[in-house]
Amino acid sequence: MFFFTYLRRELRRRMRQAVFIALGLAIGIGLVITVIGASSGVKAAQAKVLRALYGIGTDLTVTTTPKAPSGKPTTGQANSGGNFGPGSPRAEICVNGKCYTSGTVDTLALGETGPLSEAAVGQIARLDHVSAAAGGLLLTDNRITLPSASNPNLSPPTSFTVDGTDIHYPRLGPLSNARLTSGRTFAAADQNSDVALVDSNYAASHGVKVGSTVTIGGTRFKVIGIVSQPQAGTPPNVYIPLARAQALATNPATGKSMKGEVNTVYVAADSAADIGTVQHEIEHLLPHATVTSSSDLANEITGSAGTAAKLAGTLGKWLAVLVLIAAFAVASLLTMAAVARRVPEFGTLKALGWRSSRVVSQVLGESVTTGIIGGLAGVGLGFAGVAIIDKIAPKLTAQVPSASGAPSGTQTITGAGGTAGTPIGGPTVGHTTIAVPMSASVTIGAIVLAVLLAIAGGVLAGSFGGWRAARLRPAAALARVA
Amino acid sequence: MDINHPMPDPGPVTPLYQLSGVSKIYRKSGREILAVQELDLSISGGEWLAVQGKTGHGKTTLLQLLGGLDRPTRGRVEFAGRDLAAAPEAQVRKVRASSFGFIFQTFNLIPTLNAHENVEAALIPLRTHRAQRRAQVAAALDSVGLGDRAQHLPGELSGGQQQRVAIARALVKEPKVLLADEPTGNLDEDTRDEIIGLLDTLWRERRLTLVLVSHDSSVVRRAQRIGVMSRGRLSIRQDTRA
Repeated sequence: MFFFTYLRRELRRRMRQAVFIALGLAIGIGLVITVIGASSGVKAAQAKVLRALYGIGTDLTVTTTPKAPSGKPTTGQANSGGNFGPGSPRAEICVNGKCYTSGTVDTLALGETGPLSEAAVGQIARLDHVSAAAGGLLLTDNRITLPSASNPNLSPPTSFTVDGTDIHYPRLGPLSNARLTSGRTFAAADQNSDVALVDSNYAASHGVKVGSTVTIGGTRFKVIGIVSQPQAGTPPNVYIPLARAQALATNPATGKSMKGEVNTVYVAADSAADIGTVQHEIEHLLPHATVTSSSDLANEITGSAGTAAKLAGTLGKWLAVLVLIAAFAVASLLTMAAVARRVPEFGTLKALGWRSSRVVSQVLGESVTTGIIGGLAGVGLGFAGVAIIDKIAPKLTAQVPSASGAPSGTQTITGAGGTAGTPIGGPTVGHTTIAVPMSASVTIGAIVLAVLLAIAGGVLAGSFGGWRAARLRPAAALARVA
Repeated sequence: MDINHPMPDPGPVTPLYQLSGVSKIYRKSGREILAVQELDLSISGGEWLAVQGKTGHGKTTLLQLLGGLDRPTRGRVEFAGRDLAAAPEAQVRKVRASSFGFIFQTFNLIPTLNAHENVEAALIPLRTHRAQRRAQVAAALDSVGLGDRAQHLPGELSGGQQQRVAIARALVKEPKVLLADEPTGNLDEDTRDEIIGLLDTLWRERRLTLVLVSHDSSVVRRAQRIGVMSRGRLSIRQDTRA
């Protein structure tokens, strides 16, 4: 076809300029792809952290702030200082108002979050656009052996996290993200059984195997399976059926068991578009609850993962936009300059009877072709950029809010040294640092965007040039020859 | 003879061109330049009119008005009964595509297209079928003696050969009128004679209406009528029409 013959010949004639324009567009588009790739890599790393926290299928979590414990004393009292020994004063530990002076004290404590009625789970499940809702109890098992005559020194307390899992909703909550490495997972019949699943890392460090037992809240649980969670998280150490966790845990506000109560509700929306609506519905239903979406949680993630996300999302985005604008501007200016040099040529074509639209389409065709070549080169550069990031990017760290939480101040231990009010149990800080591998990748969406940008750049440059060509009067254009 | 006076009765033949009261004023840097003044002119079909004159006295402007490349500031430029001065641009473009062939001093070939493609460019607006286009182009190049140079780029051809390609491009659509602006201005004497000989032959064979602008007296003297443009006015110096 004459159109393509002419186009090919013109591009070959202006090879250097075409290469320059294409290269400019390629750099801009390559940068866009690299930024998108890096950004999606950071987002994927964040998502890994989020999934590890609340499971794959969970869109929202509902929690409450714990109330202050009721009138009962919540702290212990040191009787005196010094080592234990014959005749020395004895250490005392008080849990929810009950004080112990000897033996091993094993309690299951509520985390940072307050209790929610299990009825609320049903109410949430019935809301519009909610596909499923399940309650869970994130607890900490604290164990301390008080000094005795044979062992006068106070042993450091030990603790591990326990997740009371609603076994009817395996796709919601922390366990949804786990992979069974040995044994079996929960069955419907396990609802009221003393059976447990143990996290592989905890099992390895404590020599726990399938068939062995773990003591939780003073009750022995048979380990039926070992599960593995993604690296990027702080999973609970042990999972037990929700009903058993409710029976063993004590509500610090009431001092009674947590039957009929949970401290986290995991919610799945019908679709990603419904998450906002569901969040509002729950906030309306439970005005005192905290409803957290994945994106809210992502904002709470700090550390280099958060910094990288912000860098990719702001600096990277604007840098790519600026380079693209510069590339588009250079392409437009060069195309206009080329049209200016070709005025006599276009004047001749108009004298031959060519329509202005035909001349414009010829200019547009040339610049769009240059744009597409630039776009393809940009995709190549983008792949290279992403590969370089993958190669050189350091492992990101993410500081995440601790999922299992710390005890809510209902348990303290006072030792013989008389240091009052030292809390015992699990993670006592609000954040945990996790190393997250970052893997940037080029997505189909990014490639489609690159091609669209390339075409847009070509059309933009060609439009300026074409507009100039279209406005030419044949006589004026031919006068340039003379 | 000053042709600003009414033209002699052309007889029973209807003129192909009828220009009446045509003026063209350019505005440049706030000044008005009168390129063509109150021009009345008839050109019959099949006539060869040559226009001489100094640079800047309106020869090229007259040719552009005749070719529908520009519009007069005042007056009528009737071609085959249609006023090109008042017709919409789309109609003028169609007339230009089908009825006028242009030859320029600098040949105005597209440097990236070979001889065949340069000639073919004139058939694009006519939407001629590809096979027919190919045949017409080959015939046009043969008629100017360049059948064997079809694949050559303009840069690979001599000045005379380039002008022959330009003539083939002007003639390939079989126009009614051939408008030539200094067609030999860039050529040496031998090539000039060769090109003028070719134009003469084609004019006779194809019964073209030829309007040729040139400084060169040896070129214009072959024409039937010779006019001289001076300060935008045309006066006929010689008329050898029977």
